[in-house]
Amino acid sequence: MQEHASLPRDAAKNAAAPHGETGIESIHLPSPTVWPMVLALGVTLLVAGLITNAAISLLGAVFAVAASVGWFRNVLPHERHEEVHAPVSAAERAAAVAASAGPRPAPAAAAHGQRRLTYSFLSGIEAGAAGGAAMALVATAFGMVRFHSLWYAINLMAASSFLSWSNASDAFLSGFHLQGLLAGLLIHMLISVLVGLLYAATMPIFPRLSLVAGGILGPLVWTGLAFSLTKSVAPLLGARVDWLWFIVSQIAFGLTAVWIVNLRIRFLSAEFQSLPFDQRAGLHSNEAQRSAASEVRQ
Amino acid sequence: MNSTGTAVLASAQPPRKLWLDHVQEWLTTVDHKRIGLMYIGYALIFLVVAGVEALLMRIQLSAPDNHFLSPEVFNCMFTMHGTTMVFFVGMPILFGFGNYLVPLMIGARDMAFPRLNAFSFWISAFGGLLLYFSFLGGSGLYGAGSAPDVGWFAYAPLTAKLFSPGHSTDYWTLSILLSGIGSVGTALNLIVTIFTMRCKGMTMTRLPLLCWLYVVTSWLTFLALGPLTAAQIMLCLDRFAGSHFFDVQAGGSAVLWMHFFWIFGHPEVYILVLPAFAFANEIIPVFSRKPIFGYPAMVAASVLIGFISLGVWAHHMFTVGLGPEGNAFFTLATMIVSVPTGIKIFNWLATIWGGKIRFATPMLFSIGFLFQFLIAGLTGIMLSVAPFDWQLGNSYFVVAHFHYVLVGAILYMIFAAFYYWYPKMFGRMLSEKLGKWHFWLFTFGFHLTFDTMHIPGLLGMPRRVFTYPADRGWAMLNQIETVGGFIQAIALLLFVWNMIQSYRTGKEAGPDPWDAWTLEWATSSPPPHYNFAVDPVVHSRRPLWDRKHPESPDTHYE
Ligand code: HEM
Ligand SMILES: [Cu+2]
Repeated sequence: MQEHASLPRDAAKNAAAPHGETGIESIHLPSPTVWPMVLALGVTLLVAGLITNAAISLLGAVFAVAASVGWFRNVLPHERHEEVHAPVSAAERAAAVAASAGPRPAPAAAAHGQRRLTYSFLSGIEAGAAGGAAMALVATAFGMVRFHSLWYAINLMAASSFLSWSNASDAFLSGFHLQGLLAGLLIHMLISVLVGLLYAATMPIFPRLSLVAGGILGPLVWTGLAFSLTKSVAPLLGARVDWLWFIVSQIAFGLTAVWIVNLRIRFLSAEFQSLPFDQRAGLHSNEAQRSAASEVRQ
Repeated sequence: MNSTGTAVLASAQPPRKLWLDHVQEWLTTVDHKRIGLMYIGYALIFLVVAGVEALLMRIQLSAPDNHFLSPEVFNCMFTMHGTTMVFFVGMPILFGFGNYLVPLMIGARDMAFPRLNAFSFWISAFGGLLLYFSFLGGSGLYGAGSAPDVGWFAYAPLTAKLFSPGHSTDYWTLSILLSGIGSVGTALNLIVTIFTMRCKGMTMTRLPLLCWLYVVTSWLTFLALGPLTAAQIMLCLDRFAGSHFFDVQAGGSAVLWMHFFWIFGHPEVYILVLPAFAFANEIIPVFSRKPIFGYPAMVAASVLIGFISLGVWAHHMFTVGLGPEGNAFFTLATMIVSVPTGIKIFNWLATIWGGKIRFATPMLFSIGFLFQFLIAGLTGIMLSVAPFDWQLGNSYFVVAHFHYVLVGAILYMIFAAFYYWYPKMFGRMLSEKLGKWHFWLFTFGFHLTFDTMHIPGLLGMPRRVFTYPADRGWAMLNQIETVGGFIQAIALLLFVWNMIQSYRTGKEAGPDPWDAWTLEWATSSPPPHYNFAVDPVVHSRRPLWDRKHPESPDTHYE
């Protein structure tokens, strides 16, 4: 038994021997791990400390944290497997309850999928940067149209951290302020990149929904959140935002980000969409079971 | 213990596994079969412990004005006995069988979440250890109390700091909290496994009934464990943080605790009995040589029982004074449970009817189950009538009722399951001869104890009294119960001996000793780590029947 993180779906290795012949079936099973037990012990000690001694809780917390890390590393980025070799005699094969369709063909798209499945931080950052730029364009256009100012939008963004700016005059916000430019850019870039990463990680999971979800729905939900949040936390600021423009700028972000992620991962292609869920989601696990499971539903 | 480094050096070709290697394998395993066996083994240990507690109580009650146990110890004993049997014997043993059998029966290689599975087992196991640590640590800083002594349902205000100083009650609360986490984890695992990992061709209508029942049990676990955990946390807050949820003096409510507890507690008894039904559904057909009668009706009845059992909890609270509406509702709701339950009983009978019955030990226990479950259901219906319950609530009649279910039905089916699946688990048959001794002795002891127990209840003997005066006329009856208890204990020892002895010298079982029909019998005994080298494909509810009888497969009839 050897342990290894199984990255590529090695179809040849996993295929059954042809019907009627003796063969060796190579089966992937999750590899043993001590961490679930340690986590259970940690949680128990954590709780037991309440009725014994705080030091016990502390020990439990240490166990629990260590075990959580260990457990995560056991499954991320890829579940650890051990490989078991099962001899399959002709008789056993015949004894399989009913004739199955012989060697299971590797899912057609899987091989292509391997090539394409390059989840990189980079594509997320790119998507965030591009989306952020698109959004800035719309926002600046808003500033120009409404206040004939290049700086209004970015100052408004900065006002979310300098709350005293919320009730500054329009003239003030239309002017250039280095402080405002830096703060606004920082906030804008940070949020854009984070959302970009989120897009790169999630859009490929449900490619068919991505345009609607990432391009329209996400921005709408985000606008709703921002609206209600500013309304309760910073009402003066909220009152200054033109929410229609806001939505447009968010949609600009969303569509651009989806587009960029797709340039990198090509998840909108039919080929990609035919991949099984775990591959689209960037997970690999016991493929024998997974593919069996996905074939079953009739 | 015989493990030394030199042993390895000395051995020539296949390096012999050290004792520690084995320990490590079991501690780190994520294999559903090993986890199942650990669940079962740990439950059996607690079964013996809680059984000893029961015998101690029976000795104490065997004579009037007895002083074998002090009142304080007696309180600890019934609390620990009940808590252990429900949370650390019943649930783990049933989850253990579920863990072992479900993937095999649906043709999968493991559970959906193997690591969660290990975690769930271990946290339940540590919960049990924590509970028993209370014997040592229960006095805490206050030097008062030892093991929990507030009864298995721990009514307020008995659990308030004032009445239960020290930490014994906290041990009860926290250990149940922990085991609850494990139960929810395993329930989740079972449901996801059954819904997503069935082999090719196994539609939900071809799913073995055992798996259907585990689906219902797991749903009930989700729904029931939530309120219990919430209540335990509230109790912790009351005891540690000075809140007043259950403190009547400060505007809290003791009845609130009752509702929380029983809205867990009643579904819980069905969580325990549904797996027993599950075993019966697999065993009775095989030993009657007929397919189960009315598969769809059985599924529907199981789901219905699950639903209805969520709405009957306050039949445990008639004596509180629920008012006419409450009494009427909970009486009716409770009685309605007997409709789907009756359907099941009739279907089992119809399965046996006209069959070619083989009276092997698993079937004997199943037949015992049928009779005893019927009687238990009947006393249950009697108790569901509020005015009747006002007389007999909290008496030994109730104790007799629920032991009839828990022992006469559930434990009987657990025994049946052992005799039926032990050959699969260990590759050897249990001795039929010892098995028959076990069955008849246990049945004799069971009826001696629990048939008799109804009578002192009717005569007014309250439960949870540590002794009684001589002039009540209960002494003789209690003596008989005690004798029956010891006979059951002897039968249980025979069973344990049978398991140990057969492991070494039992007859080789082969893959399919009972000529059965479900997928677990399609692989070797014990099954290999990966269960099936080739993924099975099924075309009916009895795949092995189809294979053995290609001339007349079930597919023609389903
Ligand atoms: C299916 C398996 C069953 C189990 C495991 C079971 C178990 C129990 C338990 C443990 C108690 C006592 C709780 C306590 O006070 O400590 C109890 C009480 C009761 N059971 Fe059952 N029972 C079952 C079936 C039934 C059925 C089918 C009915 C009625 C149709 C029923 C009606 C009652 C009633 C009314 C009480 C309350 C008695 C009282 O506290 O005065 N039970 N049962
Ligand atoms: Cu009940």
